[in-house]
Amino acid sequence: MASLITCPHCGTRPKEEFSIRGAAAPKRPSPTAKDEAWHRYVYVRDNPKGRYQEYWHHVAGCRRFLVVERDNLTHEVFGVTDAAEFERAGAAE
Amino acid sequence: MSINLLHRHVLDDHISGFETDPNPNHLSVIRRPVIFSVLAHAGREAEVAEALWNAEDVAPRFCGPSEWLAVSRTVGAETVAGMLSAIAGASVVDQSDGRVLMEIFGPSVRKILSRCVAVDLHPEVFEEGQSAAMLCCHATANVARTGADTFEIIVPRSLAGSVFEELMEMGREHALTRGFAD
Amino acid sequence: MTSYRLGSGGAVNRGQSLNFTFDGRTYKGFEGDTLSSALLANDQMLMARSFKYHRPRGVVTASSAEPNALMTIGLGSRAEPNARATVVELYDGLAAASQNRWPSLRHDFGAVNDLFSPFLGAGFYYKTFMWPGVLWERLYEPLIRRAAGLGKVTMQADPDRYEKSWAHCDLLVIGAGPTGLMAALAAGRAGIRVVLADEGFRLGGSLLSESAAVGGQPAAEFAAEVVEELASLPNVTLMPRTTVFGWYDDMVFGGVERVQKHVASPSPDLPMERLWRIVAKRAILAAGAEERPLVFGGNDKPGVMTAGAARTYLNRYGVAVGGKVAVFTNGGSGYRTAADLLAKGVDVTAIIDARPQSADPVPDGLRVIRNGSVIATNGRHRIEGLIAERSGFEEVIGCDALAMSGGWSPIVHLMCQRGTKPVWSDEKQAFLAPDVGGAFVAAGSAAGHASLGDCLKDGSAKAHAALDSLGRLVGSLETPEVEGEYDPSFAPLWYVPGARDKAFVDFQNDVHVGDLGLAQREGFRHIEHTKRYTTAGMATDQGKLGNVNAAGIVAGMRGVSPAEIGTTTFRPFYTPVSFGALAGTARAEHAAPVRTSPLHGWARKNGATFVESGLWYRSAWFPREGEKTWRESVDREVLNVRANAGLCDISTLGKIEIFGQGAAEFLNRIYSNSFLKLPVGRARYGLMLREDGIVFDDGTVSRLSENHYVMTTTTAYAADVLAHLEFSAQTFWRELDVRFVSATDQWAQMSLAGPKARIIMSRVVQEDISDTAFPFLAVRDVTLRGGLKARLFRISFSGELAYELAVPAGYSEAVADSIMDAGREEGICAYGVEALNVLRIEKGHVTHSELDGRTTPDDVGLGRMMAMQKPDFIGRRLSTRFGLTAADRLQLVGLKPIEADKEIKAGAHLLKDGAKPSMANDQGFVSSACFSPTLGHFIALGMLKSGRERIGERVMVWDGLRGSEVLAEVCPPVFVDPENRKLHL
Ligand SMILES: [Zn+2]
Repeated sequence: MASLITCPHCGTRPKEEFSIRGAAAPKRPSPTAKDEAWHRYVYVRDNPKGRYQEYWHHVAGCRRFLVVERDNLTHEVFGVTDAAEFERAGAAE
Repeated sequence: MSINLLHRHVLDDHISGFETDPNPNHLSVIRRPVIFSVLAHAGREAEVAEALWNAEDVAPRFCGPSEWLAVSRTVGAETVAGMLSAIAGASVVDQSDGRVLMEIFGPSVRKILSRCVAVDLHPEVFEEGQSAAMLCCHATANVARTGADTFEIIVPRSLAGSVFEELMEMGREHALTRGFAD
Repeated sequence: MTSYRLGSGGAVNRGQSLNFTFDGRTYKGFEGDTLSSALLANDQMLMARSFKYHRPRGVVTASSAEPNALMTIGLGSRAEPNARATVVELYDGLAAASQNRWPSLRHDFGAVNDLFSPFLGAGFYYKTFMWPGVLWERLYEPLIRRAAGLGKVTMQADPDRYEKSWAHCDLLVIGAGPTGLMAALAAGRAGIRVVLADEGFRLGGSLLSESAAVGGQPAAEFAAEVVEELASLPNVTLMPRTTVFGWYDDMVFGGVERVQKHVASPSPDLPMERLWRIVAKRAILAAGAEERPLVFGGNDKPGVMTAGAARTYLNRYGVAVGGKVAVFTNGGSGYRTAADLLAKGVDVTAIIDARPQSADPVPDGLRVIRNGSVIATNGRHRIEGLIAERSGFEEVIGCDALAMSGGWSPIVHLMCQRGTKPVWSDEKQAFLAPDVGGAFVAAGSAAGHASLGDCLKDGSAKAHAALDSLGRLVGSLETPEVEGEYDPSFAPLWYVPGARDKAFVDFQNDVHVGDLGLAQREGFRHIEHTKRYTTAGMATDQGKLGNVNAAGIVAGMRGVSPAEIGTTTFRPFYTPVSFGALAGTARAEHAAPVRTSPLHGWARKNGATFVESGLWYRSAWFPREGEKTWRESVDREVLNVRANAGLCDISTLGKIEIFGQGAAEFLNRIYSNSFLKLPVGRARYGLMLREDGIVFDDGTVSRLSENHYVMTTTTAYAADVLAHLEFSAQTFWRELDVRFVSATDQWAQMSLAGPKARIIMSRVVQEDISDTAFPFLAVRDVTLRGGLKARLFRISFSGELAYELAVPAGYSEAVADSIMDAGREEGICAYGVEALNVLRIEKGHVTHSELDGRTTPDDVGLGRMMAMQKPDFIGRRLSTRFGLTAADRLQLVGLKPIEADKEIKAGAHLLKDGAKPSMANDQGFVSSACFSPTLGHFIALGMLKSGRERIGERVMVWDGLRGSEVLAEVCPPVFVDPENRKLHL
């Protein structure tokens, strides 16, 4: 029927406004990275049950990619950040 | 030869025949608004936003953190283009033909729009002057509250017919009338 | 026919009499009646036949849990099957019909099933109709479906409108009985946004059936007063006739409002039903409690109903459920029912109390059989008496109705719909709502509170807790006084032993105690297995009445607590929801939004036939007088473009404006070919790959100024490409200054193609467009004669000399008309996407038929577009994998039939000449095929193993689905102008 995601730019919106693009944790390897790294990045996903970070594109809103951290079993949402913020924070670590 | 520059509004096909007087709930289609996309370049978001909010004769509409629509019903596209291109750090695209601007107002406007958008339009939540991109009648739209009971809806031209028909359908219960503003 | 309507009382409007029909016979009821109360008032106790055994059935409840009184309401296209007569609001002219009987409700041949019932026990179908399998589809299933069933759906289109709506509130109160009203009142007075929803047409719930006084006035009047106050509060939204059927993620509740189900002549301006999505910060479940039937022999006889139902018909509708009513109870509800009936002058023959003793007040002169039980009932179409048993002694007690009470089950469904199970309470002998976090709580009898006073108090208290958690608490708790309330407590009684007839647990599915026992013996012991094996708890009522008894009985059989048995899973919807409401406006041509090109009107004016392409409507071909088939039109259009010129609407291509100092580098990383050195004023064809090295989309990029580009995408991939650009810019390469926005809708774009394209275009644009001034792949801003600013691209998809002209959408029809005028002497025609497709196949241009998510650039002969000298672009790293560079990959080739009149169809497989037609010999497939009017025979593009090495070879084109084999020659994929002379004219 519905579930809601609170976009940091647009506010609370129904899931119909978003398109999900999968796990946010894998990082695009450098062009010179080893085959194994590229193989993992393109083909291998953990598909965990529980707490999970994934990209949600706010297609019908601000058109920003967001990283939604949620429990994929209960749909409890722990946080929503702009993907650029998320990548920056990841890069800073 | 010279081309006879007849400009057609996409809703010309949908709004025809005898126009009645508007009811209290009315949908007004603005025939030739000026609408530009304004994109702020990296790191220039704040200054572009400020310039846009200070600009005369245009109303800014929020789309995303570095994107707005600049809307004018009073001045021409060239004037707006000149004004916007003076904003440092911004790129602008004329969308006046690509977007359709409708204004819906009346005592039942929130009831009608609750059938069209999922966003809470209560005045304490979606205040006067606020605008946002959202799904409206299954199309990506920009919705702005321009008065207590007045909303402005901007939709892509190709979907305007569909959105217009659905808005009118949702307004039947409240005797929504429609017409071009001019 | 006896009238069972009392002389006075009830909340019906006796001044407004309504006519209705049941199985063709006309009856009278009152405004405020339900269909079941009106039928009872007219002595129509027999209302249905049961699902499996076709046993005569009457109404058991006065609520939405009704398992028996299912009827078809309305006629013709408005006929709705399986409506519960207990919740159908009476209106003038209502037509109801009974179901699952033939030839009539009183004389039903299907009733022979009851005689054969020893063979029709649980699992009967599974055991009997298992073998041979082939008979299942042809014989058993149609047979069973005819014999057992509910109502029949009409095959006519629904004439009514439906819509969907959102609502937002601080507090949603579900149920407007005593608890809900008090909760809404407390919250409403505090000023928060409240939605109060109730499935009934009159708010008040059990207060409307209550004989106690609240706040010094009759309960129903108290309810009306509260409702009036709530209605006056602008922050409170009352939603009668609205069932909240589901609780979803993030505190979104689904509801269905029956806007006009009760209206004799529905207004075309209103929907029949409205689907609500209610977003609530807090919610209170005040759905009340369901009275449990007692499970005794013959408990399904018409006239046997819950005590609460008997009270509701009496007090709310002014209808006596019988002339002589017996009561069978294990708690206070039976005593209150007897007292209420007697107070209204209805004869009560006896109370049979399963308990040895109780403190319940016995009405004067009424006989109470303590420690008693009912073991059988007499009568066929209506109960005529019962056999009571006490200490081994039997006694026949005359009655024409039997009010039974087995205790109360809180209605906790909504709170269990997201995976949390209800919790058994030994103290309350009931399953209670689980703790699902503070935002959604149960209150009143839904929370296990028994008495009216406790419910009123709990409603206010839960609202105060919600207000407190929202930081909006004002005022103090106020609860009205209750006078004359009774104690509804009870002793558990799951099953009454000694049954002489079937003792039904689930009325709707005809599941009796014996079936549950059989399921245990045959190993279907888990309650979910028991449910599937016996069908207890299935179908339209989902076991609202029977499930708790089933759990209790199974627990008894196994010697454990009901806590160990648990319940089956609660899922939305709480009550059935019509497909109409779920579809809303999305039906017929409104199933999806329609996207129209700016040139839609122009195409229509020119007689176009349209084809759907995603949401778009595109002009497919433009038939002319005398053309009988689409092929004739398309052939003419193609030949005319090759000989003269044609104008095609290509506005649906995606157009993305790209800005920024980093734009060139960005494009260079997005495309497989190079973009850094694209000059201003030039367009370039580009290939985008996926990260796995497979082609994602193709299109063109034009550089309009140093830091301004415009990209075109295919129609189908416009949205995906924009998302891909956004993703890449926002996550991979945040350091690049690049911004983009879709301008697809701003520009109408048309392709003018053919050897006479330049002469026509030069009549329209002011600038010099000679080959020197404006060569192949040139791009520029132009001014049309008349002054309009436009963009001109010299790009060709057809292989002809061609221009793409982009103009602001609103002017496009005028411009297209002018081009047609300007080209009239040159023989210009309008052409559609079918001709465009033929033109591109003739030219060997690929589309997503070839770029099908499996092909690399090299596969389609575009290996030169892999600029491997670039350090990085999307798809580069994995493009060199062994599998993507193997020599035996499928490669793009052309195909032409050896016999010129043979047809090649897309989708056919390619085999070696002489190979046996089988998938084992598969060598590739035909990706695109058409009749080429230019060449005079069919041609095709195909993907063939090592295809480029096999030019000249004969292959078999095998279409196994349509049964054809055509011998073809493998040829280069470019059939027309392989030297590209026409492009550079
Ligand atoms: Zn957003």
